[in-house]
Amino acid sequence: MLIWFLPVFLLLLMIGLPVFFGLLAAPGILLWLNGQERDITLLYRNVYNGMDSFPLMAIPFFMLAGELMNKGGITLRLVEFSQALMGHLRGGLAHVNVLSSMLFAGLSGSAVADTSALGSMLIPAMEKQGYSRRFSAAITAASSVIGPIIPPSGIMIIYAYVMGESVAALFLAGIVPGILVGAGLMLVIKVMADRYDFPIATRKQTWGERGQASLKAFFPLLTPVIIMGGILLGIFTPTEAAAVAVAYALFIGLFVLRTLRVGEIPEVLSRAAATSAVVLLLVGAAMAFKTVVSLSHAPETLAAYILSLSDNPLILLFLINLLLFIVGMFLDAGPAIIILGPILGPIFTSLGVDPIHFAIIMSVNLTVGLATPPMGLVLFVASSVSGEKVESIARAILPFLAVEVLVIFLITYIPAISMTIPRLTGFAQ
Amino acid sequence: MGVLKAALWPLQKWNDLVLPIGRFLAVIAIAAMVVAILIQVFFRYVLNNALPWPDEAARFMMLWMTGLIAPDAYRRGGFVAIDMLERALARLAAALLSLFLLAISGLVLAMAVRIGWSEVTGFGGRFDTASLYLPLPDGWFRVPRSWMMASLLVGVTLLLIVNLELILRALLRLAGARNLPPLGRPEDELMAE
Amino acid sequence: EAHDAEFMLRATANSNENDEDYDGLVVFKNYVEQASNGRIGVEMFIGTQLCSNGAECMQGVADGSIDVYVSTSGGTSGIFPFVQVLDLPYLMADDRIAEEVLANDSAFTDTMQQMVRDGSGDAIRLMTIGNTGGWRNFANTKRRVETPSDLEGLKIRTVVADLPQELVKALGASPTPIPWPELFTSFQTGVVEGSKNGITDIMGMKFPDAGLQYVTLDGHAYMGALWFMNNARFMEMPEDLRRVVVDGFYQLQQATFASPKRKSIQAYQEFQDGGGDLYVPTPEQKEMFKEAAQPVYEWFQENVDGGAEAFEAMTAAVKTAEERIDASRANELQ
Ligand code: NA
Ligand code: NA
Repeated sequence: MLIWFLPVFLLLLMIGLPVFFGLLAAPGILLWLNGQERDITLLYRNVYNGMDSFPLMAIPFFMLAGELMNKGGITLRLVEFSQALMGHLRGGLAHVNVLSSMLFAGLSGSAVADTSALGSMLIPAMEKQGYSRRFSAAITAASSVIGPIIPPSGIMIIYAYVMGESVAALFLAGIVPGILVGAGLMLVIKVMADRYDFPIATRKQTWGERGQASLKAFFPLLTPVIIMGGILLGIFTPTEAAAVAVAYALFIGLFVLRTLRVGEIPEVLSRAAATSAVVLLLVGAAMAFKTVVSLSHAPETLAAYILSLSDNPLILLFLINLLLFIVGMFLDAGPAIIILGPILGPIFTSLGVDPIHFAIIMSVNLTVGLATPPMGLVLFVASSVSGEKVESIARAILPFLAVEVLVIFLITYIPAISMTIPRLTGFAQ
Repeated sequence: MGVLKAALWPLQKWNDLVLPIGRFLAVIAIAAMVVAILIQVFFRYVLNNALPWPDEAARFMMLWMTGLIAPDAYRRGGFVAIDMLERALARLAAALLSLFLLAISGLVLAMAVRIGWSEVTGFGGRFDTASLYLPLPDGWFRVPRSWMMASLLVGVTLLLIVNLELILRALLRLAGARNLPPLGRPEDELMAE
Repeated sequence: EAHDAEFMLRATANSNENDEDYDGLVVFKNYVEQASNGRIGVEMFIGTQLCSNGAECMQGVADGSIDVYVSTSGGTSGIFPFVQVLDLPYLMADDRIAEEVLANDSAFTDTMQQMVRDGSGDAIRLMTIGNTGGWRNFANTKRRVETPSDLEGLKIRTVVADLPQELVKALGASPTPIPWPELFTSFQTGVVEGSKNGITDIMGMKFPDAGLQYVTLDGHAYMGALWFMNNARFMEMPEDLRRVVVDGFYQLQQATFASPKRKSIQAYQEFQDGGGDLYVPTPEQKEMFKEAAQPVYEWFQENVDGGAEAFEAMTAAVKTAEERIDASRANELQ
C-alpha cells in the first residue's frame, strides 16, 4: 500500500499542491487508508524533529548574509570587478554575468538569491547593450546554479545533515566543479559571441583601473576566505561560520563600505526569516516523508532493484544521473536529496564510490535541475526579474544546460575533480 | 455571497493583525540566533570556555522563527508549488482546482493542529531542554521541551487560519466576487536554494 | 519474514549495523520469533529512520508508535535525569561488577525499573540494561594523559547534559558541546581537542584520521544501554508471550555484554597499528582520577531529580556485587 507514496505525491505536486503539503498529504492519506493512524503522529513528529537541528541553522544564516551583502552594495562591487576583468571581451557582459555568479557563489549558498540579485542588475544592463532579454535571462539562470556548487551551499548543508557527512568536506569538494561549470558556460558564450557578433561591454581596462576595482571588491571577496579559512583553521564550525559571515556582512556594509543603513536591517532580517522558514518547513516535511516511506521498506526494495540493473558502478552512475536529472525537473533539490540521498548514497559507497564524490554528483545534478522546467525555481525567478516568459527562457537556456550536463558527467567519471582539494586538506581519504 | 463575506471579515482582520506580530517576533528570533552563535564562538575560541546553552537557545529561536513567520509567507503565496495546470485551465475550472488544493492543505493542517496539541501536552513535552534555564524569583527554572515544541503547533494553527481565509476567498471568487483586498506580494526573492 | 505475526514489534536503535545495539537486537529478534513460534515478529529500524534522538524516540515509545528502543543514559536524561547515575565516574570497577549490578534481579535495576514506570506514568518499561561500546575513556588529539592534571585546559567534547559537563569541569578540562556529526571535522580543525568515548565508536567514526591519537584507558564510565518498551504493548500480550519477551531481553543483554569485548580487540589493534598511543593508568593514577571526580558525586545527589535514590541504589548494588564476586572468587581459588 505505502508503495504508492511516490505516484500519489507526484500527482498532487503536478496539479499544483504546494510541495510542503504534498510531502505530508501523500503519505498521510495512504497511512489513513491503511489503518495506520498511529503513524500519522510519526509524520507530524518528524516535521518538527527534522527542523530541530543545529547544522540546519547555517541555512538562515547564509541567507541572511547573502541578503545583507546584496543590500550593502556588495553585489554591485563584484559586478564592477568582473567587468574590469572581462568587460572588454566579445560578449563581455555575458562573461561578466558568469564571473559575477562565481564570485557571488563564494558569499551565498543559494542559486535563487544569485538569480535575483545579479539578474535585477545585469539583465537590464545586457538588454541595453542589445542582447535579447531571453538570452540575458537564460545566462543569468544558467550561471546562478554555480551558487550552491561553490561554497557555501545550502544544498550541501542539507546533504551533510541528512547523510552525516562533513559539511567542510562537501564545501571543499564543490570548489573545482563550480569553477568548471563557470568555465563551461564561458566557453559556450565565446562560441556564440563569435558567431552572433555579441557586443563588447567596455574598452580594455588598464591595470590601474583593474587594481582600483579589485580594491573596491576586496572586502566582499574576503568573505569566502574568512568562511573557509575559519573552518579549516578550527576557529569555528560550518554553522558558526555562517553566523560569522552575517556579522562580517553587517560590519563591512555598515562601517567599511557604508552602503547599508541601519534602518534597512529589519527588512533584510524579515525577508531572510521568511525565506528560511519556507525552506525549513520543506526540510521537515521531506524528513517526515522519508520516515514514513521507510516504514514500507520501499528504500530497500528500490536499492535492490537498482543494484539488480548492473553491477558496474560506471553504468549505474550513468543511470542514476539520468534519474536525478528527471527528479530534479520535478522536485526541489532539498527535498530530493532528503528523500533519495539515504537510498542512493549507501548503494554507491558499497560499490566503492567515495561518499564525498557521490555527494557532489548528486548535489550538482540536482542543482542544475533548478534551471530546468517545469519545477526550475531559478527559471521562475529569472522570469519574474526579467519579465520574460518562463517557456522562452527555458528554450534559450538549452545550450547552457547541455554544457552543464557535460560537466556533470565529467564530475561523475573523474573523481579527482571533486576529491583533490578535500584530499589535499585532509578532509577526505 | 453576503454570508461568505461576513465569514471572511473576522479571518481577514485576524490575519492582518496577528501575522505582522508574528513577523516582528520572527525578526527578533533570527537576530537572536546570530547573537547566540557569535557569543558561543567568542567564548569557545577566545576565552576557551564553551557555554552549554547557545546551541539549544539558537535552535529554540529557529523553530519559533519558522512557526511565527511561515503563516505570513503562506498567505503571500510564498510556498513553492507548480502552478502550470491552474494557469492553463479556464477560470471556473481553475477556481475549482484551487479550492480542491486548499481543501487538501486544510486537512493536512487540521490534522497537524490536532496531533500538535497532543504532542505538546503529552509525554514528549515533559522532557527538559538540555541547557535552557530561566531565572525565577525562587531560583533557576528549567525550560521544558514543550515550550520549544509549541512553536510548530502555533505555526500550523496560524497556517490553518490563513488556509481558511484562502478557502473563503476562493469561494467568493467562484461566486463572482471581484476586488478582494490583496494579500501582499510574496518575497520577491524566494531564495530557497 | 514474520509479517503475519500476532504481535509485530517495531524496534529501533539510532546506531548502525556495526554497533552492539544491532547485535543485541538481532539476538532478540531471533529468540523472540522462534520461542513464540512466529506469534511475535520483530521489525528492526536501525539508524535514524523513525526518530533521531532520545527525546523523539522516547516520545514514540510512550505513545506506542515505537515498541522497543535503546538509548544511552544521555539520551533519556531529559525525562529520567536519574539514569545519569550510569555516567558517574569510577563507580564500577570492571565488567564483572557491572554485569552483576545491571542484572535484572539486582536491587539497582529493580529501582531503575520502578523509577522509569513512575516517571512515565506507567507508559514506559525499562526492560533491561545492556552495554554499548564497552567503557568510556578519555581520548584527545594533543598529548598522553596520565593524571588529571594532563587534562587541564583541553577542550573536551561532551553531549549537552549536566553530568558529563560537570565531570569534565571537575577534572580541569573545558567541556565543549559539539553535535556528533560535526565532531570529526572539529577534531581535525581543533575546535575541540578531546572526547569521552568507547574505542569502537572512536574507530567506527575514524577519529584517529582526524588526529585523535591519544587514548587513556581510565574506564571512567560503563556505557550502559537502556532498553525501553511501551508498557501497554507489553501488557496486552498473554503471559506466555510476555515471558518470551522478557527472556528475549535477557538474551539481548547477554549479547551486548559480550559483543564489545570481542569487538574492542580489533578496534584497539587498529588504533595502535595506526600509530595511536594507548595508555593504561596505574592504580595510583586511577585513584587520582577518582579523587578529582569526587565533587561530581555530590553534585549529582544534590542537583538531579531522583539522583540521591539512584546513587544509593547503585552504590549498594556495587557493594553487594563486590562482596559476592570476592566470595565466589575466593571459593574458586581453593
Ligand atoms: Na555558494
Ligand atoms: Na549570473
